[in-house]
Amino acid sequence: MKEKKKRFKHEHGSSFSVDYYAYASHMRSWNAGFKVLFSIISLLICIACNNLFVSLAVIFFMGFLTVAVGGLDLHHYITMLLVPIVFLIFGTIAIAIGFSMRPVGQYHVHFLNLFYIYWSKASLLKAGGLVFKALGAVSALYMMTLTTPLSEIIAVLRKAHIPKLIIELMNMIYRYIFIMIDTHSRMKNSAESRLGYCDFKTSCYSFGQVASNLLVVSLKRGNNYYNALEARCYDGDLRFLEEEKPLKAGQIVMAVIFIVVLLLIWFFTR
Amino acid sequence: MSKKQKNLAVLASVFLMLLTIAPVSNAMHIMEGFLPVKYCILWGVICVPFLVIGFMNIKKVLGNDRRTLTVLALTGAFVFVLSSLKIPSVTGSCSHMTGTGLGAILFGPCVTSILGIIVLIFQAILLAHGGLTTLGANCFSMAIAGPIISWILYKLLQKANVNKRVCIFVAAFLGDLFTYCVTSFQLALAYPSEVGGIGASIAKFLGIFATTQLPLAVIEGILTVVIVIALETYAKDELSSLEF
Repeated sequence: MKEKKKRFKHEHGSSFSVDYYAYASHMRSWNAGFKVLFSIISLLICIACNNLFVSLAVIFFMGFLTVAVGGLDLHHYITMLLVPIVFLIFGTIAIAIGFSMRPVGQYHVHFLNLFYIYWSKASLLKAGGLVFKALGAVSALYMMTLTTPLSEIIAVLRKAHIPKLIIELMNMIYRYIFIMIDTHSRMKNSAESRLGYCDFKTSCYSFGQVASNLLVVSLKRGNNYYNALEARCYDGDLRFLEEEKPLKAGQIVMAVIFIVVLLLIWFFTR
Repeated sequence: MSKKQKNLAVLASVFLMLLTIAPVSNAMHIMEGFLPVKYCILWGVICVPFLVIGFMNIKKVLGNDRRTLTVLALTGAFVFVLSSLKIPSVTGSCSHMTGTGLGAILFGPCVTSILGIIVLIFQAILLAHGGLTTLGANCFSMAIAGPIISWILYKLLQKANVNKRVCIFVAAFLGDLFTYCVTSFQLALAYPSEVGGIGASIAKFLGIFATTQLPLAVIEGILTVVIVIALETYAKDELSSLEF
């Protein structure tokens, strides 16, 4: 039982904790279109300004919204922020330092008599700024994804006149994902109970078998799914019940003030 | 051994060590906020023609037979689920497949571009891999460039009568490597080196990300072979419905 629990805990996004958090969030009653727009505007300002103080303001305010207003556990929030950490570390290291055959740059060390690693104050500052800019952008994105279920985001995209075919596909894919995850975890369980993952070679083999079987089983069901849709008068248009979530004046004022403050910070610390 | 040789040996073993302890490695999604606005727009614009072609293609297929819609949606969901599964690794680290090579081999590059961008949006929202502003760049490297190379290689090798397993392995392996090269290029273009400019910067990104990406590409190649062979053994009929 303990083993099973461990597998369903959040591990680098392999389970869909984001969707779970979004449904549980207190900010779910907010208007979805407003959240999407607010998050994307803050995200763009954070990237476009490229300013340490703006980034910090975005990180703190978006974190405050998601954790304090949305009611997400701080520990979970930080775990989520750490998902892209490897990319961030590798990416910023590559920007901060350079390799060269000759001693160049502000600072450099001779590495194993082969080449020089060099860096400068400017490149370190640039890399540091980038870390905060990326974290700011990620926290703005999380404000949206951790408080708005994907189905509501798709509904916003539909209102933004994304082609119907794409919306239809997105809606279906979103629903099929959960069916597949369920089927997969059963297949994996039975493979595991037959020692299918005992060593690396067997694991590769089992992984491939389970994955291909997953596709086969799903494709076999695909026809039935279409029949089921047609039996319910499907004519190329999936309609879902959408809760009406009125926009509140206070939220708009909050968003406008925040954006103005960001622009002011940028203006004065330029 | 001269001193230089000794140093090289030490360097090689350090590199090998890094390969084996490579920590978490997601498929190489550029994270949210990592690219300047200029490059976000640039890569987004480059993707548009490919996406339009893919969209037209899917529309045509659906015009002929609307039933393919559920099959398309299922394959999209499959690519997403595949990319969210932890793959077996020697060291117990946690990494994921990209599934792009498999997608290209099974469905062709046109359909993969549209399914790919949907999957990338889902990955950004549900898994926090990648992001919305970097969607264009990620879409180009993972849903367009990688699959096209995989598909071309697969078709060419098949024509040349190479062993099927080798075909699939090479296609998936090199498709993955190409994705990683394109991503390095995208990063280097946005952040050129102080000395040596973009060229030196590409080498830098390639070198640093090689620690996670090289073993991943090999595993991805092996897994794609296992999956495609199993599919061909058990599901010839279903596969024929995927020939777009």
